[in-house]
Amino acid sequence: MSEELFEHTTGQGKEDEDSKKQIEAAQFSEKIYDKKIDSNAILQAIALYHVYQSTAEDGNVVALRGLNVKVKNGEAVAIVGPSGSGKSTLLKCLGVLMKPSAGGVILNGIPTTRKTGLELVKMRQETVSFIFQEGNLLPDLSALDNVAQPLRHRDVSPYEARDKARELLIELGLEERLHGLPETLSGGEQQRVAIARALITNPKLILADEPTGALDPITSREVLDLFRKLHKERGVAFLIVTHSDEVAAFCDRSLELRDGRFVAEHGTNLDIDDLEGSRELIVDELGMVSFPPDVLMKIGGSGRYEIEKADNGEITLVAAEKNKSLIKGKKKLADKCPACKHKYKDKSQLCPECGSSRPMIKSN
Amino acid sequence: MRNRITKWKNRFRDLPDNLRIAGLSSWRDKERGLAVFAGVFLASLVITLVLVYGVGLSQAFLEESLEQTVFDSKIEFKNAPTQGSTGWTNDTTILQNMCDEVTLKEEFSDCTVILGKSGIHSELSFSNDAAFYASPLFLKQIESSDNGRNWNQEDLWEYEYTTGPPVVNIRAISFLGPEAFDGEISERLSKNIIYEMGEWKTHEEVHAERGIYIPLDIASTTGAEVGDKIDHITFTYTSERSLPGGMSDEDCAGEIIEGEEFRLLYCQIPLTLDNVTILGIYEPWPQGNPVLAANPIYTTWTILDENQQTTLIDNDHVYLGVTVDRTLLPTSSISAAEDWLEIVANDMQKQTYDDGNVKIFYVDIISSSILWLEFFLGFVQVFDYILMIPVVILSLYLLIYGLELSLEQRRREISIHRAIGATAEKLKGMVLFELFIISTVAWLGGYLLALVAVPFVLSSVGFMEFEALEIDVNPSLSFGATFFTILTTLGLALIFGNSRTKSFLEMEIDEGVRKTKEAGKPRVWLHWTMFVIGAIGAFDTWQELNTTGEGIITNWFVGGLINIFGPFLLWIGGALLLSRLGAAGPSIMLKFFRKTPLLSDVKRGLESTGTSESTGRLATIMLLTLSIVTLAAVQGYTGSLVDERTADLEIGSDIKVYAVEPMTSIEVEQAITNISSKDITVNAVNVPIIPLISEDGTDVNAYVLMNESTEILKWFPQAIPGDDISEAMIAYKGGGFTAGSDIAFTLDLWGSGRYGDSEDILLKESNKDSGNLTFTWEETIVTFTGEGNEDQDPIMALILYTGLMEKNWSNLDLSNQDLSNRNFTHTDFSNTNLSGADLTNSDLSESILFNVDLRGANLAGANLNNAIFVIQPQNIIDANFTNANLSGAFEYTGIVNLSSAELNGVTCPDGTIQNNDNNCSAGFSAIPPPLLAPIFIPASIEFEVIPHETSIRYIGVHEFIPGVATNDMNSYLVINEQAYRDLRGNQFVDSETATTWIVEIDGLNNDELQVLNLLIAADSRFEGANDWETSHENVERNGGIIFGTQGLFTLQYLVASIAAIASSFVFLSLVLNQKKKELAILQAIGASPNQIIRLVLFEILSIVFVSMILGVILGIGLALSFNGLFNIFGFLFQLFSGTGETSVITRVLQWPWWVIIKVTLGVLSVVVLALIMTTRRALRADLAVVLKGE
Repeated sequence: MSEELFEHTTGQGKEDEDSKKQIEAAQFSEKIYDKKIDSNAILQAIALYHVYQSTAEDGNVVALRGLNVKVKNGEAVAIVGPSGSGKSTLLKCLGVLMKPSAGGVILNGIPTTRKTGLELVKMRQETVSFIFQEGNLLPDLSALDNVAQPLRHRDVSPYEARDKARELLIELGLEERLHGLPETLSGGEQQRVAIARALITNPKLILADEPTGALDPITSREVLDLFRKLHKERGVAFLIVTHSDEVAAFCDRSLELRDGRFVAEHGTNLDIDDLEGSRELIVDELGMVSFPPDVLMKIGGSGRYEIEKADNGEITLVAAEKNKSLIKGKKKLADKCPACKHKYKDKSQLCPECGSSRPMIKSN
Repeated sequence: MRNRITKWKNRFRDLPDNLRIAGLSSWRDKERGLAVFAGVFLASLVITLVLVYGVGLSQAFLEESLEQTVFDSKIEFKNAPTQGSTGWTNDTTILQNMCDEVTLKEEFSDCTVILGKSGIHSELSFSNDAAFYASPLFLKQIESSDNGRNWNQEDLWEYEYTTGPPVVNIRAISFLGPEAFDGEISERLSKNIIYEMGEWKTHEEVHAERGIYIPLDIASTTGAEVGDKIDHITFTYTSERSLPGGMSDEDCAGEIIEGEEFRLLYCQIPLTLDNVTILGIYEPWPQGNPVLAANPIYTTWTILDENQQTTLIDNDHVYLGVTVDRTLLPTSSISAAEDWLEIVANDMQKQTYDDGNVKIFYVDIISSSILWLEFFLGFVQVFDYILMIPVVILSLYLLIYGLELSLEQRRREISIHRAIGATAEKLKGMVLFELFIISTVAWLGGYLLALVAVPFVLSSVGFMEFEALEIDVNPSLSFGATFFTILTTLGLALIFGNSRTKSFLEMEIDEGVRKTKEAGKPRVWLHWTMFVIGAIGAFDTWQELNTTGEGIITNWFVGGLINIFGPFLLWIGGALLLSRLGAAGPSIMLKFFRKTPLLSDVKRGLESTGTSESTGRLATIMLLTLSIVTLAAVQGYTGSLVDERTADLEIGSDIKVYAVEPMTSIEVEQAITNISSKDITVNAVNVPIIPLISEDGTDVNAYVLMNESTEILKWFPQAIPGDDISEAMIAYKGGGFTAGSDIAFTLDLWGSGRYGDSEDILLKESNKDSGNLTFTWEETIVTFTGEGNEDQDPIMALILYTGLMEKNWSNLDLSNQDLSNRNFTHTDFSNTNLSGADLTNSDLSESILFNVDLRGANLAGANLNNAIFVIQPQNIIDANFTNANLSGAFEYTGIVNLSSAELNGVTCPDGTIQNNDNNCSAGFSAIPPPLLAPIFIPASIEFEVIPHETSIRYIGVHEFIPGVATNDMNSYLVINEQAYRDLRGNQFVDSETATTWIVEIDGLNNDELQVLNLLIAADSRFEGANDWETSHENVERNGGIIFGTQGLFTLQYLVASIAAIASSFVFLSLVLNQKKKELAILQAIGASPNQIIRLVLFEILSIVFVSMILGVILGIGLALSFNGLFNIFGFLFQLFSGTGETSVITRVLQWPWWVIIKVTLGVLSVVVLALIMTTRRALRADLAVVLKGE
């Protein structure tokens, strides 16, 4: 049993020293998440944090900062944001391809935190499919084999899989390219094969990463039409990471991601250019709010604000003590970690014992 | 349970599809497949080859040992046919029926009834007394009316049995049945009949002509030829045997003789055969097995009368000689053959014949004669395995590297599979399945190629030289060994692939969560330690080769350890360390090319290229392969040369002949020209010895280099001072002499190594170390004075006496020669040097030893009955007369006493036996022996010494003269012909005779030379002959397969070359694939294709080039340190084989640069080709696509 649990974290059931702690932590957070499960949602993410550890000079990169997402059954959600804002990381976490540093993903009403790698794969097989920017087809396999591959992974008999794949490809108008290798297919064809591959498992949710990014406008419209059709006819939910306003417009709502935080949400059928005008700010469960940079600039940049008025969904902020510097006197790094009382011997910024960041204190 | 069944059912169902997919992806993604393929293929090829080589070697040995036996087994009666015992028959018809019945069995191919060696009736073993009783039919006498045939030699039938218990050392006769003249037995026997010396005829002909076949040595000694009629052959059979004292003359109708072992007594009864003809002369086999008489005279028993036949059978002299069907004998290994033979033997032991009336005992000859091979072979194989370790490591390295690269390349593909729902288990299964497919094909390919290649490897006669094998070797591997190759290649690939895939998948899934694993820091200190220890070993060898033979390591144990492990430490440590240098190739090369316009525009690009892991690996592979190429080429080439030179050293030229009587060079040349039926040119030279006295009175001996030696002898640089043979020869002819290092020390000459002057150079006239020395040769003239009456001179008496001698061995230098067991009755030894000569058991009765030098001569057991001595007293010092017969020996001068000689058990001149009381104190006989008495005139004798002087110039230190291989060479001088003529006079030199001649023969190929060798050996004028070709073959077989191991080196060279070329191609493509993005970026920021190609070309080429240069250097070091390993194994081999020979030839390394350069060029051109192809492909690729990447 415990070995299966390890599998979640290591992928292969590799034993880990602190695995016990992790299990405990997982069990704890599970309890929290249980309360929050929305039976209507196909996908829920609660307080997702993700940190990329790096040995580079600028240290670790925080990609996601406590995100909450909910995709309802049959809903199409777009995630927009500049490059580097954490879109791809979010998608990987949501598709349980990757385990977030903290927070939980609830897929089809089932929390994934405590699931083993194998169970996750099974859940994914039944629920989610991926579509990438440029098809990401297996280069050595023909279109048919590419499409049949997910079924193969599910131990469907190869003949059945190929039959099904053929059907699907014909349905998507690729009957003449069944045996073409990816490199001989055009961009649109590749994408259609990728879509066919995503659909062959009858998913309830398709996670798409810039599905039209590599396509010309006409082809991308075709692809989008295909999405629309699937969305309507099969009731497939979509979560699409995109730059394209057309794609965003196809979705029911859009989420704006900046520096690992959702800063705004937009209603249905919006033009991506209108984002500024009609944006809604997102306040999450923890009461956190992030302002998009343009808004921040308008209100006068970072700093302290006083809440003048707050009721019935309305809030007014006033800059506090504008001319006063917040910093009084010289400061130096604390000698002791306030959390675990570790005595710093060098200039490190993080406590080597407990990992809390080192505060500045007043210097005499 | 059900789950598992479904799982397997699914697996089975999906197998064809999985196979298809795996095949597709491994085929379409050739490069990464190739990398794995190359690794597994090489590993499989090399490991299988080493194993199969072992099997092949074992087969070759087995076949060789089979070659030496005619009969594979012997069937005799279970009990000795004595009175009262049952279970046997003396009816030849029944015996022949038994034979027919045996032949009907599938395991046996032929059988014949033989009357010959008596039965043992039990298993042959060391403690088996019966083996000592089993005597052959001894030859007693042959009488022939043919003139000029010397059948009357006393010791003609003495024959030393070197294998098994020496029963009685007398030549035997074997009577074969009619079946031996057709079929398998006939084929085997006829094979050894010497070309042009008769043939193995049919039984009808042999019976009708009453034919016999004699061995070459008998023919040579007696001068017998094919067609000779023989009047009577007398041989004896053993009728009774007994322990010492158990038999008296009354019990024996014939003669009682004593055996060698335990002094057993044998009652020998003679039988006679009349009117036979010699039908053929055969080349003696090496003695293989003590169960049969070795190299007997063969004939058929049908020429015996019926009485004789029955007598022999009744006395147990009958057995069935059987040949097994050797095609059925498993030759895959010696132990397999033994197992098979054991089954056959066990089956045969149960057989009875003639309705149970005849009970038999089956003696397996093959398995007992191959027993020792296993031990010997094991030793050889250990050496071979050690030799192949580098290539095995190389191939495993390629395998592992290939695997890693192949996984690296799959990164993207694997993440796609993960995204579309593949479980880790599935993915691993997929990767491993593909790996399995590639590895299986690669393993099979390597395995099959190895099987095909081994016969070629075994047939190599030198580095990169092959000659068809005379024996048929088709090795195969046992199931176990095959499984081992699968385990070490396929298994290793899968195990390694499994662990790599596992960690790879872990990394993928955890990316971002887990800290990326830090690359393990290379243990540089370990590499350095290995490298330094190895380098010390290599330096030690280098020093040994370049100085007097003392390395820096004086402790033999430490030296031995370093010799064994040093090569490998040096290799691995060196490769790992130097590969960093190799990977830094671009920066190194940039230093040279910085200023050139060639690189001015791409300089900056080059400076920024760091050393990635893949280029580091490329450097390592180049280093490993090239160092092996160099090692194999150097050691292989050196080994071949050492083999050839060993033959040169032994024979001196094409053939070395030993004349029965002293001959002049013209006589030798004529004799050989006559013997050969071909049109040949013969040049013979001998190397006389002359005792000299130096200016300071030191006695020295000198070999004389006759002028023809320059052309006739096969010289090589090690022999002479300096390196230039022609210069050295000119220096000799121009009045130069050389000294061995010991005598150089004694004479206070340069080059003795005493002041560290160990350089091997030819001293020029101007050199201060070269000076003229005067040597004196003292001619001793014996003068007789007084006492003779006036008309009769004592000298005349001696001249008359010499006239009575039959053989002329006067004026010869026979010092240290083997003259044992010869017949020297009535021989004139006037003025001959016999010091140190081996004359044991020779017959010198009534010979004249006038002014001979007998110092240190071994005359043990010699017959000196009535010999006449005219010698100086000092010339008998240390002569060994143990058990010799000196009765009647007469000494002319009366001044010589015998006390300075070894006299144990001697028959003194006065007829008494020496003992501690008398010690032959009476000295030589004072009475002239019967032959001299009528002409004897007493005289007083004086030895007058006439000094002859010559002054010759010292030109340096020699090591040896080809054909005169001797360890004494160090204490000898080598002077030239002119000096010799000055000392001894032209007349003497021109008519000089000798028994040993070194002969050069033009107009014959190798095989013809071997035939001529046999013809000379068979000729009655010659005692024997050794030809270069046979000697070379022996060196190859005994030294070659084991120590030269040219085949293995050739193999190593080829495999490493292929590996170098193939891996440079494969890994380069992979490295470039990784560079694709970099190239695209460069292009995107405006570099021209030309610039990019130059950039890549320069970068990769400099890595490859620098690594290759370093590889060659490492290989040179490796070759040096391997020399130490060779020495160790050489030493061990001498210990085990007990040969005790120390090789005279130094294993001076040869550097076949051209062979190495060829490979280097090959690799470089492949690299350039691959580079241009791949780079252009990369350049043609869509920039945008490449740059977008993953």
